[in-house]
Amino acid sequence: MLLEVRDLRVEFRTREGVAHAVNGVTYQVDAGETLAVLGESGSGKSVTAQAVMGILDMPPGRITGGEILFRGQDLLKLKEDERRRIRGAEMAMIFQDALSALNPVLTVGDQLAEMFVVHRGTSRKDARARAVELMDRVRIPAAAQRVRDYPHQFSGGMRQRIMIAMALALEPALVIADEPTTALDVTVQAQVMDLLAELRREYRMGLVLITHDLGVVADVADRIAVMYAGRIVESAPVHDLYKAPAHPYTRGLLDSIPRLDLKGRELYAIKGLPPSLTRIPPGCAFHPRCPMARDVCRTDPPPLYEVDQRRGSACHFWRECLDG
Amino acid sequence: MGRYVVRRLLQMIPVFIGATLLIFLMVNVMGDPVAGLCGERQCDPATAAQLKREFGLDKPLWQQYATYMGNVFAGNFGTAFNGQPVTELMASAFPVTIRLTIVAVLFEIVIGIVLGVVTGLRRGRPVDTSVLVMTLVVISVPTFVTGLLLQLLFGVKWGWIKPSVSPAAAFGELIVPGLVLASVSLAYVTRLTRTSIAENRRSDYVRTAVAKGLPRHRVVTRHLLRNSLIPVVTFIGTDIGALMGGAIVTERIFNIHGVGYQLYQGILRQNTQTVVGFVTVLVLVFLVANLLVDLLYAVLDPRIRYA
Amino acid sequence: MPEQPPHDSEGAVAGTGMGGAMDLAASEATTLERAPGGPEGPGGPEGPGGREDAEGAGPAAGRPRSLWSDAWRDLRRNPVFLVSALVILFLVVIAAWPSLIASGNPLTCDLARAQDGPAPGHPFGFDGQGCDVYTRTVYGARASVTVGVCATLGVALLGSVLGGLAGFFGGTWDGFLSRITDIFFAIPVVLGGLVLLSVVTSNTVWPVVGFIVLLGWPQISRIARGSVITAKQHDYVQAARALGASNSRILLRHIAPNAVAPVIVVATIALGTYIALEATLSYLGVGLKPPSVSWGIDISAASPYIRNAPHALLWPAGALAITVLAFIMLGDAVRDALDPKLR
Repeated sequence: MLLEVRDLRVEFRTREGVAHAVNGVTYQVDAGETLAVLGESGSGKSVTAQAVMGILDMPPGRITGGEILFRGQDLLKLKEDERRRIRGAEMAMIFQDALSALNPVLTVGDQLAEMFVVHRGTSRKDARARAVELMDRVRIPAAAQRVRDYPHQFSGGMRQRIMIAMALALEPALVIADEPTTALDVTVQAQVMDLLAELRREYRMGLVLITHDLGVVADVADRIAVMYAGRIVESAPVHDLYKAPAHPYTRGLLDSIPRLDLKGRELYAIKGLPPSLTRIPPGCAFHPRCPMARDVCRTDPPPLYEVDQRRGSACHFWRECLDG
Repeated sequence: MGRYVVRRLLQMIPVFIGATLLIFLMVNVMGDPVAGLCGERQCDPATAAQLKREFGLDKPLWQQYATYMGNVFAGNFGTAFNGQPVTELMASAFPVTIRLTIVAVLFEIVIGIVLGVVTGLRRGRPVDTSVLVMTLVVISVPTFVTGLLLQLLFGVKWGWIKPSVSPAAAFGELIVPGLVLASVSLAYVTRLTRTSIAENRRSDYVRTAVAKGLPRHRVVTRHLLRNSLIPVVTFIGTDIGALMGGAIVTERIFNIHGVGYQLYQGILRQNTQTVVGFVTVLVLVFLVANLLVDLLYAVLDPRIRYA
Repeated sequence: MPEQPPHDSEGAVAGTGMGGAMDLAASEATTLERAPGGPEGPGGPEGPGGREDAEGAGPAAGRPRSLWSDAWRDLRRNPVFLVSALVILFLVVIAAWPSLIASGNPLTCDLARAQDGPAPGHPFGFDGQGCDVYTRTVYGARASVTVGVCATLGVALLGSVLGGLAGFFGGTWDGFLSRITDIFFAIPVVLGGLVLLSVVTSNTVWPVVGFIVLLGWPQISRIARGSVITAKQHDYVQAARALGASNSRILLRHIAPNAVAPVIVVATIALGTYIALEATLSYLGVGLKPPSVSWGIDISAASPYIRNAPHALLWPAGALAITVLAFIMLGDAVRDALDPKLR
């Protein structure tokens, strides 16, 4: 197993109290596999990813429990310097907004070349040549000239390609992409997503794709983990989940996608708002919004029930849900 | 970039004319320019009238101003109270004040930035809080009080320095006066650097740098500092003009014969030529410093350069 | 923004010849300009710990609270604010009624006791002229507070009206006013004071107040202009305009309440710096002149005797420093309370 997150817990100290951002998340990614982590903002999907990368702001953040196993080694037990050598080289991250995630006062060439200089001890000249190669790889036209440009001189799609090039520079075994296409125009989104999927196949990397967009997931992902209020509520192979969701929250998400064949009908929306992380409801966190909620949901937090070998649902009534 | 420079230069012209005209008016309308010319005694009316004609003081003010500025650009700043050309006074005074300003700016750069970086990286810790309180105290104590206190402690009580600076005013003698001159700006540079560092530290590109697996010192020096110091460098640049103009207090305390000293003498003796001449040059220094800062800003921040 | 040079608004970058303290005031305010209900609104762009939890933790609070009542609730619990407010209250009281705590006359001096140290009934000792330092220090508060308050009122009124109107109406007037403020910024303050006040023979505080207003208003006007321009772009102002509200109504009811916070913060900090400026000018011999009683005069008079009688310098200097500090701390605390990014 490439990456295994086990019962991870993260909280933040804020003025309003302690925010429980991640409350026992467990997921696995195999080499070459794509896991999509799906959830609304505030569900803890980005915080989990930051904890895996080791770039969580601490304080105010704090990891209160769990393990993060990378190739069987618990990252949380490593020294900061050992951790640093893994970051960038063996696992890399692609951020949502490339404009703010790239350093505005350094040329893109410098920022790409830096990876080789720091991790591989390459000479500056060779590193620069590798940077041009990388920009070619992600299909940036006239790479040899543009390597001297600054991030703000590129279009949004081109910037995100540079972000991808930077993450793939050292051919890491695992890439975490945090909403890589959300900030882009719809027409560019597909191109960038295709590029990412293609490079992933080529390098045989494990990919954790964080998104709130169900449409993106279907084409790219092998498995899906749906998060709600800092927990995984359902985890399943993509096609099984689309065919028949085993959790009312997942069902709600699927039903709220606009569909051409249902044109004219009123669009379904999950009622209510996601809970405040400082005051997560007792029992099942989803129960105030759940159409199937019963008394037991208000008191007993559901474990992740095993639906079949490759599938889990954190709903007391997953059977009913599965049957529709 | 070229157009930008030209526009800034053009914008400087009205500001220069306005500021010098304002000073010219203040001196001429408020004071009697002839009064200083007869030494300590009161001028008798006949001499006064003759002097006025000689200096063209009977002409309308705008004409006087135009003549004066014409002379200034020909390099003629007039005569000081002791008969020396004002340019000679400048030649002896400006090097001293420039040395003093250099010392002050060095203090701002070295102490201000170091303290700012240290506190910015340790925001909320005891070091941060105590430095922050200290900067507020330094800003609150007026320069002349700081100067007198340091003079009392270093010069009188402990005898580390001579309480007053010799006319030569070598760099070594200017360390404490330079610190005094820098004190308020120093505190401000510290706060500015701290805010800038603390803000940029949470920025996305610093997070990216960490995610790239760069060592901490590289994240700080190459990514964090480079961006955070842009506003600091520009502040220090604009401060140069303010420091030279504000040096008058420090120079008085430590008896330094620089620009402030000559200006003070000129004002005491109501010598218009000295006062207007020195202030004109100071305004010019301020404007040029501001222009250079604008250009520096464009050099440091590519987003402006290619805008 | 009509034809502004690209980074005129970069608060910290615009040097002012007023020195660091005034720049502090200005930069504190520019962070507030964006503040009240601004485009990034309360809740902030990025709370601590990434975008997710910021949103999650934020919108829990139910009842709507105004910026000012929120700020007041914060301030009441802030020890820095309470201490500096108490110091200022105390100063105002003794400025109005100095005889409450000092029974002597500040002008009664006894040359025979010149430079003497503390004695019974004279806790701070005597200065170079044999005057009681304690009495003079207490009475000195009046000059400082008067100058500070009057100058600040004048500067705030003139600056915010001129700057506010320029920001609201824009166009030629705005451009003209911007150039005028540039001119004033180019004149070093202490130098201007020396030149202008050296010829004034009046022995009241008014020339000093007038001078400070003359050179201080551009600072506030720039701030007021900036915050009015920011407020003007808010959607609710556009909405009011679309509904046919008159200019004066928009300005007074919608813009002024939102633009006033930065002006108040800068004015408070500026009050402290004006007190320091008055003392500096008096020290140079062009501000207030004897027989007026002022900390600046006393410090200046005590500096020749610094070797033998440092106490005559230290007490008024200490009083001056604490006063200025109190105002700057107060301004700082108010700013923190009004800045939604910090909450």
